[in-house]
Parts: sequence; structure tokens; C-alpha cells
Amino acid sequence: MTEPAPLRLAMSGVATPETLEAIQAFVVEGCRKAGADEAATFDFRLAVDEACTNVAVHGYAGGGPGPIDVVLESDGARIRVSITDRGVPFRPELVAAPDLDAEAEDRLPGGLGWHLIRNLMDEIEYHSGPEFGNRLVIARQLRS
Amino acid sequence: MEITAETRTDVTVVSISGTVDSGTAVALASTLRAHAENGGSHLVADLTHVDYMSSAGLRALLETVKEARQRGGDLRLASVQPNVLRVLDLSGFTKILKVFSTVAAAAASFTA
Repeated sequence: MTEPAPLRLAMSGVATPETLEAIQAFVVEGCRKAGADEAATFDFRLAVDEACTNVAVHGYAGGGPGPIDVVLESDGARIRVSITDRGVPFRPELVAAPDLDAEAEDRLPGGLGWHLIRNLMDEIEYHSGPEFGNRLVIARQLRS
Repeated sequence: MEITAETRTDVTVVSISGTVDSGTAVALASTLRAHAENGGSHLVADLTHVDYMSSAGLRALLETVKEARQRGGDLRLASVQPNVLRVLDLSGFTKILKVFSTVAAAAASFTA
């Protein structure tokens, strides 16, 4: 089997439900091209979907859906995905961790998306700035 | 995503196939809620053909299990694929929902 080659793929869109669906397909295809295994492909699909859904639902809440850019890069060992938007900045430190031991009746529906991202990825960076907007970068190895 | 439902004695088996994400979870939640409200509070969700579930799907399951239990029933899961099971596990949902390897076992658990 040949070693996976370095790769860089990008897509841009407006954060609508259709774009969120297209981003999932883009990530799955990118992971396959990068040589990721099935679990890593699933993890990136889910982590990127959760992040982009947060942008669409919270980042662009109140206004129309705005731009979202996704870049998937691989060096042959790890995959790194960056998600850039121009919505309201996200404050990861303010997201309460879900209480995983609570009974169903006491479980609150929020916070699961960010919880999953933190558990599926081993590298997470988030920056906001006037030049580029908000940028989340997530990464992990392409094989488990 | 496609949903079909079949009521067997007093258990309703809801078979879901495809992707459960922010685009489809609302439809799933409303279908499950309708079954829970219409007397079929013994619900089995057959996840054999669900290849992907995000937190939006987890919210739909959480909402349904709360509704079903309030009515004296339950929502139980059957035939969950490994990646989806990992999502349920990471989210603590395998502690609050009963998971069975087959639909038959999940359905039978209501009469056990």
C-alpha cells in the first residue's frame, strides 16, 4: 500500500442547511483521498458538522446565513480542518460540559456538539480577529 | 433519512435509515413524538441503517425518551452501528438509554 500523499482541499459556501450537507460530503471525500480510516473519517465528518452547525445556528443567528469556508489538509499522517466564518464569535470556555451521569429526565440538550468535538479531536484551536473572522482548527491522526 | 414504523402488539418499531443530522433530526423528533403521544409509548428505534448521527439526533432521542417515560413507556435502541454507538457512548447516552443488539430483543424487553 502506498503512503498517503499530502493534500489540500477547500470549499466555500453560505451557511445554509444545504451547505452543511455538502460540507459533510466534502469532508468524507477529503478524508478518503487523504487515506483516513473509517473511524477517523467518521470523526472528522461529525466534528466538522457539529462546528459548522454551531456557526449556522448560533454564529449567524439573528442575521441571514453568512459565509463559511472549510479547508482540509493532510500531511500524510494527520488531517487538519479549518473552519472560518464571519458570525458572532464563539466562546468555547463558556460552553458548559454536559453532565454525562445525569438521569435522562435531568439531561439538558445543549453542549453535546462541542463536547463531541473535544472528544473526537486531539488538537483544537480557536481564534477570532477582524481580518479573518472566526477560525476553528481541529486535527487528529488519519488512522486510529 | 427515511422513517417507517410498525406497531406489533404494544410495541412500535420505528426504523430509521440514512443520516440523522441537523437537517433531518427535527423530522425524526416529530415522528417519534407522534408515536409516543398516540399511545405507542413502548418505542424501539431500529438503527440498523443509520450510518451517521450528530448531536441533533441525540437531542431527538433525548426528547423522545423523556416523553415516552412520562407516559409510562420507554424508548429503546436496537442494532446500533459501531460509529453511532461510539457517539452515544461519548455522550453518556448508553447510560440513559437501553441498547439491544437486535430489534427482537429490544421489543421483547418490554414484556420481560
